[in-house]
Amino acid sequence: MAHIPDGVLSNPVLMVGAAVAAAGVALGLKGLDPVRVPRVAMLSSVLFVASLVHLPAGPASVHLLLNGLAGIVLGWAAFPALLVALLLQAVLFGFGGLVVLGVNTVDMALPALAAGALFRLLWRGGGPRRAAVAGAVAGGGAVLLTALMVAGVLALSGREFETAARLVILTHLPLMVVEAAFTAAALSLLARVKPEMLRGRG
Amino acid sequence: MLRPLLALGLLLAAAPAQAHKLKVFATAEGAWISGTAYFSGGAKAMGIDGTVQAPDGMVLGTLKTDAGGGFGYEARTRMDHTLILDGGDGHAARAVIAAAELPASLPEGMAGAVLPPPARPVAAGADIDTDAIEAAVARQIRPLRQQLDAYEERVRLHDLLGGVGVIFGIFGLAAWLSARRRMP
Repeated sequence: MAHIPDGVLSNPVLMVGAAVAAAGVALGLKGLDPVRVPRVAMLSSVLFVASLVHLPAGPASVHLLLNGLAGIVLGWAAFPALLVALLLQAVLFGFGGLVVLGVNTVDMALPALAAGALFRLLWRGGGPRRAAVAGAVAGGGAVLLTALMVAGVLALSGREFETAARLVILTHLPLMVVEAAFTAAALSLLARVKPEMLRGRG
Repeated sequence: MLRPLLALGLLLAAAPAQAHKLKVFATAEGAWISGTAYFSGGAKAMGIDGTVQAPDGMVLGTLKTDAGGGFGYEARTRMDHTLILDGGDGHAARAVIAAAELPASLPEGMAGAVLPPPARPVAAGADIDTDAIEAAVARQIRPLRQQLDAYEERVRLHDLLGGVGVIFGIFGLAAWLSARRRMP
């Protein structure tokens, strides 16, 4: 999960995570046009709520991450959006923690950026159907990448990468399917009613 | 148009809103520390490894949860026991059994663990077994404590709405500040 609690990761990992997150947030805020702020706020609250809603998936239950969607719609502004959503989840519900906030933000925001880039590469301003397919690939890919990054930071903190990766990716497999479907649905709707929202700056 | 609606329906049908977090509930009945590990959705966490640590971090023993998420450990000294469970995938949780919860008949723990004086009923007749009473009371209130513990973890609608409000507040403030900076 992208909700690594306090006390699991080692200090160097935490510090690097915090530094990268701070840089990402600064970049995201610097390029943020005030006109687009409401959009960031909306996506941030969607992220906040989505991670609290549990979907039954086989024996386990998963929650949506939606970082792919955030990256596609927000670009670099996904960093502040994710930071705020994760901060409130940690403060209000104790999911994740304050010290690991940086790492958790980076674990979700970097895949978000990658998903945004991948989506634009595949979509190229096409129709809603093309947007849905590209969204499914980008949304599912973002979840996989997040799972790999979680396994990676666990490995850097002295855990065995293979065990951690297998566990994390196994629990994320059903989520990838759900997330791909959800992202595809959301993007095909956006491509139909508000395609300018998907063109990076709009 | 159908697919977004379908996805939205799926999302809404998934209430109650809860998230993935490992939780440990533990109590002591006499010297026997037992408890369950579960995910905050309520699913039992089976096959999870854990350790029991003394206040100074020394490992006293190891645990593994069974199919129902349950585990047990017998305390040998009267001191704070910290149970740490780790799912290996970034989920970890801890619970502390305070020295005061363990029976006074156990040998006192190591130095540094500050203990309240053992609460012995005065003049209640020497033949009453306080350990048995403690065990019986602990058994009786256990379901209550478990329920309370689970209740604390529930994500409630007003918390959610409050969070959404705070998010809009933060970004509203940011927009106001940046708009003011841009004005001559």
